[in-house]
Amino acid sequence: MPLGLAVVLLVLGVTAVVGVVGYLIDRSAARNDRREGR
Amino acid sequence: MNINLAHLHLLINHFPTIGFIVGLGLFVFAVIGKSDELKRASLVIFVGIALMTIPTYMSGSAAQEMICMVAQKSPNAPCANPNVSREVIETHRDAALLALVFMEITGAAAWLGLWQFRRSSRPSNTTLLTVLLLSIVTLAVVSNAANLGGPIRHPEILSDPEAAATSQPAGPQTPTGVRLGLDSGGLGKFILGVPWMWPVCETLHFIGLSLLMGVVLLIDLRMLGVMRNVSFATLHRLLPWGILGFAVNVLTGMMFFIAAPEQYTQNGAFHWKMAFVLIAGANALYFTMFDETWSLGPGDDAPLTAKFAAVSALFLWVAIMYCGSMLPFLGNAF
Repeated sequence: MPLGLAVVLLVLGVTAVVGVVGYLIDRSAARNDRREGR
Repeated sequence: MNINLAHLHLLINHFPTIGFIVGLGLFVFAVIGKSDELKRASLVIFVGIALMTIPTYMSGSAAQEMICMVAQKSPNAPCANPNVSREVIETHRDAALLALVFMEITGAAAWLGLWQFRRSSRPSNTTLLTVLLLSIVTLAVVSNAANLGGPIRHPEILSDPEAAATSQPAGPQTPTGVRLGLDSGGLGKFILGVPWMWPVCETLHFIGLSLLMGVVLLIDLRMLGVMRNVSFATLHRLLPWGILGFAVNVLTGMMFFIAAPEQYTQNGAFHWKMAFVLIAGANALYFTMFDETWSLGPGDDAPLTAKFAAVSALFLWVAIMYCGSMLPFLGNAF
């Protein structure tokens, strides 16, 4: 695999994992905020 | 006698083990006694110890260089002092790396629990159970690393150099703990040997920095009077994104350190950077859990304490970025 493609794929993969974890935490916070009327 | 990083390692290497025993004991009491205050206190201890473990590991690398590679720079040569065993040191180092990994994961889970305490009155049972299980495993792993470090002798700290050179070992230096650890030597070779690994870590380090600085700037500028119509509760929801950025940077930063520790252990700019990171970690805890900021609604002016915390956070993070950028110029990296 070319060097540039490997770098791009790995960076995108880790960024996607961070994005999904952040989204799940934020969704849970939004649910709590709605429940507490914030 | 000059204080060096080997002395610092001997000074702080008990914090992870002792601190985790205290934190876990308190956490178990808190869960049994259903005390939210004790739960919060134990979570703060876990986060604090996770931060302290980073300089503990790094100063250990510096100590390894000092007691083993003083005369011979070859990575596979025996230690210059025949009374010091390279094998014992490397076994301890690899076990310490595994302990560091578990410690940071536990610290992240504990921070999430603290954040949930503020966000929704109490953390979820899933978070508390995760912290409990992780902290038990972490205590076992860190105790093993500490046990493996016990037999390492430190003749370099004796005040008489001649006595240090001629001192006889008190007993055979053999590992006495379970040889459970990551192969940090192999990991370092992988990071340096695979051409795409360093640029990937470098790119992710900057993505993590952008994520972190974005959240830091929003919160600190609000404290200083910008965007007054936004409540702190709204900004507090962004904190996990900042911590995720910090986690990415700890992970990628450790990759750099493991691959080329000699670039950092004797680098003054890096020492300052790490000192600022520890203080900035305490600053992040302030915005995670203290009451002064939480009561800020739309239009409210932040109290003086929060403004001071905001100014110091801005200074600390700019200083961290400056020291990071200056690693090759003020220090000896690259």
